[in-house]
Amino acid sequence: MMKINSICIIDDDPIVVFGIRKMLNSILTYDELHTYGNGKLALDGITEMVNSNQGPPDLIFLDINMPIMDGWQFLKEFIDIPIEHGVRINIITSSIDSYDQKNWELYKTKTHHTLTYNRKPLRKDDLIKMSKVA
Amino acid sequence: MLKSNKTSVNNYLIKQLPKATAFVNLDLIVAHVSDKWIAQFGFVSDAVIGKSISELFQDPNTNWCDTLKNCLEEKQSTTVKENFIDLDGHIKKFEIHAIPWHDIHENVIGTILQIEDITEQEKIEAKYERLLFNSNQISKIAKVGFWDYDVAHNRVSWSKKTREIHEVDLNFEPTIENALEFYLQGHSRNKISMTLNRAISEKSSFREKVQIKTAKGNTIWVISSGEPRFKNGKFIGLSGTIQDVNELYLAEIKQKENQHLLRTLIDNLPLNVYIKDLESRKILVNKAEAQWCGAKNEGELLGKDDYQIYDKITAERSRKDDLIVMKDLQPILGREMFHIKQDGSSTTFLTSKIPLIDTDGHAYGLVGISMDISDLKQKELELRRLIKVSSSQNEKLINFAHIVSHNLRSHTANFSMLLSFLVQETTEEERQSVIKMLVDSSDNLLETINNLNEVVDINSNHGIQKKPIALKNKIQNVIQGLKAELVSHKVTVVNEVSNNIKINVVPAYIDSILNNFLTNAIKYRSVERDSYARLSVEKEDNFTILTIADNGLGIDLEKHGEKIFGMYKTFHNTPNSKGIGLYITKNQIEAMNGKVTVESKVNQGTTFKIYFNDED
Repeated sequence: MMKINSICIIDDDPIVVFGIRKMLNSILTYDELHTYGNGKLALDGITEMVNSNQGPPDLIFLDINMPIMDGWQFLKEFIDIPIEHGVRINIITSSIDSYDQKNWELYKTKTHHTLTYNRKPLRKDDLIKMSKVA
Repeated sequence: MLKSNKTSVNNYLIKQLPKATAFVNLDLIVAHVSDKWIAQFGFVSDAVIGKSISELFQDPNTNWCDTLKNCLEEKQSTTVKENFIDLDGHIKKFEIHAIPWHDIHENVIGTILQIEDITEQEKIEAKYERLLFNSNQISKIAKVGFWDYDVAHNRVSWSKKTREIHEVDLNFEPTIENALEFYLQGHSRNKISMTLNRAISEKSSFREKVQIKTAKGNTIWVISSGEPRFKNGKFIGLSGTIQDVNELYLAEIKQKENQHLLRTLIDNLPLNVYIKDLESRKILVNKAEAQWCGAKNEGELLGKDDYQIYDKITAERSRKDDLIVMKDLQPILGREMFHIKQDGSSTTFLTSKIPLIDTDGHAYGLVGISMDISDLKQKELELRRLIKVSSSQNEKLINFAHIVSHNLRSHTANFSMLLSFLVQETTEEERQSVIKMLVDSSDNLLETINNLNEVVDINSNHGIQKKPIALKNKIQNVIQGLKAELVSHKVTVVNEVSNNIKINVVPAYIDSILNNFLTNAIKYRSVERDSYARLSVEKEDNFTILTIADNGLGIDLEKHGEKIFGMYKTFHNTPNSKGIGLYITKNQIEAMNGKVTVESKVNQGTTFKIYFNDED
């Protein structure tokens, strides 16, 4: 079984958080798992993790459509946090708006982090692929 | 004695000869001379006889001696012309006939010189030649031929040019009859016959433009003119001219036709056409321009400038354009111009102004061509409005489609995921937990669908009936409904709307709108200070603007600006914020042809302005 140090799930829908957590439990082990209801909470949490020498998470699941700070606003701030190694960020959304797809393509060019774009619903097989940390 | 007698008789006779005559012997010495001869040259009578000719005429330019010698040698008469300068210095011309002088035995004993002063005659001849030349030139250039009819001899004579005009040669013998037959049968011949008769009977001259058919069959226009001659009251002849004016007349006709064509063309163009002089005064206008300017006829506009037709601003602008066109010699082509007439009516023209340039390259005016495109312009505006409406509707539709698909997708994605868990789950506890989530998800979906239905209802405009309502009362009612919450959260509402304000709205919408904004003011109040919401009204154009200002949490519009009215967008960690209220509110306001704007500062408050359309 894969072993990952730290995982973040950022989504305002508790059912999605529940689902991801449940599927992750069956395919890998991890030391820490943090969940945040919106981008703002996540940004604050991760910034604190980085500042406290604990280091950033290895794997992030990021919803786009959230209150207060959405996925894109989160990404904009996140890529400015000085993190040396690449973090794998899996965008998961039910959006079919081409704007989101384009935004993803734009952000991919702006960061050294690994950025994937995935549509809900998520399956276990998808999650196995998404959990392959570089 | 006898001989001497005879000589003196001869002398006496010769002296009296009417012509200037001198008898010169073989030695070229003057033997006899007539008084006329002496007078002719201004000699003194005694000093001539016995003198030699060379002595008398010392002018080296004269050839008297040669002439005489020649006559003697050839023994026949010769005629020469000589110049002679008289005592007054005038040049005189003489014609000298030298005839051999025979004695009774036919021996030549000298020369008889007969002299004629031809000075005047020569002058007349020269004048005559000049006149003839002139008349021929005139005849040639003006294509004028002469003719004459002599009654006594019943003879018609034609000049060379007259023959050329009739295209007959010199052998043709004109008569009154055949001359008349040249005139084209019908109008021309009748006219000329009548004219001739009248000229003779009324003793008047005539001049007619008629057509002849030449000998070669060409039909041409001529001006035939003439005058009868009378002697002692008796008609003795006619003389006159015939002028070939065919080319001139045809050119004239052609020019008239062209002018007519041009006039017909510009008058019937569905365009306003005019020509202006350097002072921008109209010197030609077509019917359309005259009609548009409200003139009864074209003449009424001539000489007028734009200041007499349009309002001052239009006239000034037009004059400025005119000056540029005429100064730079560059046309203005197809420019849209808005004209206001003095009566206040306005027209949008598509105008071209083209400079008129003389042969020296200077402008002497301009041609203006204007097309009234007011109707087109109106349609264009209408079209633009429709495009704006339809593109905004289209945009709304796409937005809505995205909202629908996104929200439905997120719920169905959850169903799908939860159901796959349920299938695989073995522990009852887990199964119960998943089932509970399925139920929640289902409830959420139902609520979402209800919300979406509401939005569709608003946008489909069904049953939307606007009524005027008193805004102040309406606000009071809503405040009353929210009283419990307002009191418990200590939010003060200040209703500054005056009693007389009425707005045209869908009653259900205004309830929902006011309720939503005030609920938001409560929800997003700041707990750090006493909260209030202030409602006031102002007028702008055809809108009544309701301003709702609070001193609540505010929102960072730089970050969220475009999303604040979005569906399911929330910006505060506040319970019960679902992100549906403002979305529906905005839809309701827009469905009533209004709009809503927002200003906000974080932790200072938010001001919404709701524009209610008074007209539409």
